[in-house]
Amino acid sequence: MTDNDSRIGRRAALVLGGGAAAMLAAPWVARAQARTIKIGMPTILSGRVATLGISSRNAVMMEMEKVNAAGGLAGRPVEMIFRDSKAQPQEAARVVRELVNTDGCEIIIDGEASSGSFAVQEVARDLKMLTIHTCSETSSLSADPKLRIPNAFRCVRQGVHDSVAGAAYAAKIAKEKGLKKWATCSPDYAYGRDTTAEFVGYLKQFAPDVEIVSESWPKLAQPDYTETLTKLLQANPQAVYSCIWGGDLTAFIDQGNLYGVFSKTPFFAVNMADYTVLTAVKNLPQGIHSGNRYIKTFPMTPQNAAWGDAYREKFKEYPTNWSWQNAAAVAFLAAAAKKANSTDTAKMSEALMGLTIDSPFGMNGKITMRAEDQTIVDYAIGWGTTIPKEPYMPNVTPGDWKQIVELETAWKKSKGYI
Amino acid sequence: MRALSFSRALALAAIVLGLLFALLSTTANHALMDFVIRLASLAIFATSLNLLAGYGGMVSFGHGMFYGFGAYFFALTMQRAGVSIPVAIVASILGSALLAAIVGVICVRLKEIYFSFVTLAFQMLIHATILAAMPLTGGDQGLRGGVPRPPFLGLNLSNQKQLCMFSAFLLIVCLFAMHHVVSSPFGATLRMTRDNADRAAYLGIAVDRVRLKAFIIAAVFASIGGLLQALFVSGAYPDFAYWTVSGEGIFVIMLGGTTTFLGPLLGSVLMLLLNDFVSRFTEYHGLALGSVILVVALGLRKGVGDFVVDWLSARSEADASERTKTTEAAS
Repeated sequence: MTDNDSRIGRRAALVLGGGAAAMLAAPWVARAQARTIKIGMPTILSGRVATLGISSRNAVMMEMEKVNAAGGLAGRPVEMIFRDSKAQPQEAARVVRELVNTDGCEIIIDGEASSGSFAVQEVARDLKMLTIHTCSETSSLSADPKLRIPNAFRCVRQGVHDSVAGAAYAAKIAKEKGLKKWATCSPDYAYGRDTTAEFVGYLKQFAPDVEIVSESWPKLAQPDYTETLTKLLQANPQAVYSCIWGGDLTAFIDQGNLYGVFSKTPFFAVNMADYTVLTAVKNLPQGIHSGNRYIKTFPMTPQNAAWGDAYREKFKEYPTNWSWQNAAAVAFLAAAAKKANSTDTAKMSEALMGLTIDSPFGMNGKITMRAEDQTIVDYAIGWGTTIPKEPYMPNVTPGDWKQIVELETAWKKSKGYI
Repeated sequence: MRALSFSRALALAAIVLGLLFALLSTTANHALMDFVIRLASLAIFATSLNLLAGYGGMVSFGHGMFYGFGAYFFALTMQRAGVSIPVAIVASILGSALLAAIVGVICVRLKEIYFSFVTLAFQMLIHATILAAMPLTGGDQGLRGGVPRPPFLGLNLSNQKQLCMFSAFLLIVCLFAMHHVVSSPFGATLRMTRDNADRAAYLGIAVDRVRLKAFIIAAVFASIGGLLQALFVSGAYPDFAYWTVSGEGIFVIMLGGTTTFLGPLLGSVLMLLLNDFVSRFTEYHGLALGSVILVVALGLRKGVGDFVVDWLSARSEADASERTKTTEAAS
């Protein structure tokens, strides 16, 4: 053989060897049944929303430590397995199937947003494992009876709840201050369009004088909001509503500050009071109206403050909205296992129906998994105004759950869900 | 590599299918079954892209539009029309052929980078349409509520094993059909238009018509890949029609090789193994995939499949010349 030949040989050997290694190491290992219960969690750990996925994983790890210290689920120690879904629904579906079929997970905590959660719901329908959604806020996931299955629950705030609570709060201020000309500015996709339409609908119901003078629909992840901001200034509204969120909201506020938008016009941004935004904005304006995402000051209880501080102590940053939802989901699983004294899917699902737990994130220290649509109610929901420094939103006006549920029921009827 | 004759290819396909069925009927391994379903989807898609890019010289950046279209068309037909699965498959094939004919008439006249970018533009158009047609497609939340899978001919595709067998069957049938296309006179004409379109035109070949036919054929197979994905996830999502799907297709054929017919199949196997393996251990899978493509592009300078084939033929040539030398020396 010549030198040339032998070089090709080595390269080929490398390639073949690499291929063979990949084959051997492929995750087709036998499913091991053990006393330990494995819980799988797909969430978004890479890309634009990775911060939120990581904050979900943090919360689950922190809470599962407590569960394990207290003896696990019905006496079985918990082992968590986390996987990145890359925010792709097909990858979320695959990962969940792998977690259940290959890794032997018996429960899935689904940390997927929007379309990914619907894909996971279909896998749960197919494989029938206990599933608890912890990040998808789209109301139809639990409201639409066609999508519902007995083994899937949702421990997440909902768009329609936020809209009712926000509109009731905004209407009160609109009446007090005579704010009649409103503008909206929300991201151009299903969540932005639906949430804004619901908010405007309820606002007009509560304050019939209100009219919308301008609508803007910036794209998701738009780097430059000049166009949106100048449109807002030209329309000269008396108040602005927005459901822009995350890094987009940070950019929007930073750029809006240059035009002095927020000093002149009352700004209602439902997703403002989230530490990821509050701490990232360069000059947080005083007096922005916002819903609570996760904030240590609401509910104003020692338990809630202690939880926020403990999380910050452990992970060197404040928890997010996704964090509390995941922490509450772990508490629900623990309570259901205790009530059922079992980790069996059917028994735990039955225990979860209508279950009320003590929680630092509850409006009155309690959250309920409503039996009729397997989603949570009575969680902390309220609106307040921002200040430029800690605690960012010191006073929060609580929403009225009776009113929220009443209007949610009417909304469900209008959609043909009930 | 020499193309196999029709009867040989048919025999080979039948043998491989038989072996696959024998393997799959004895396994109870869910991960393997999922793998086969996903492999069928990706490999059919990638091979169809190679038919266009490798054999036709038309590097489409928008091939994913047919993948997404197939998934949506199939899932919507199943949800709305209540027909049987084979009818919905045929409908999806016809639908995507029609779409490809419309898009193709405009695109195939363009050369190289212009062709690539106009296909990309059409892909973004289809993607935006899926997002905008909320009442029909569910917008960016995707098509929800599951894809109904009524049993047909004794096959129940709600059963994972049967879906896996069905996917394996479709994979082999589609590969066989595409192999037949590239080894037919039409395939030779297509390669000729790739290598020298002017010469082909002087020989009396209607170049655009050949390219359009290839475009439509590739689109039809891409849509079959898409509908298998819809069956696997029991839904359809706008991501299926996004440009990243086309990008993944190009990645796969670069990884597997463009000059061998089975290169894209090999690329699909490697891609899925890599994805599944790497994402079990780290969220920095992008880094791993990027490194692999660097090694393949800079190290091998061709796809893994091309490399293996070249290596094997170089070896057999070396053997042959060795043998000649030995014979000469002996005589």
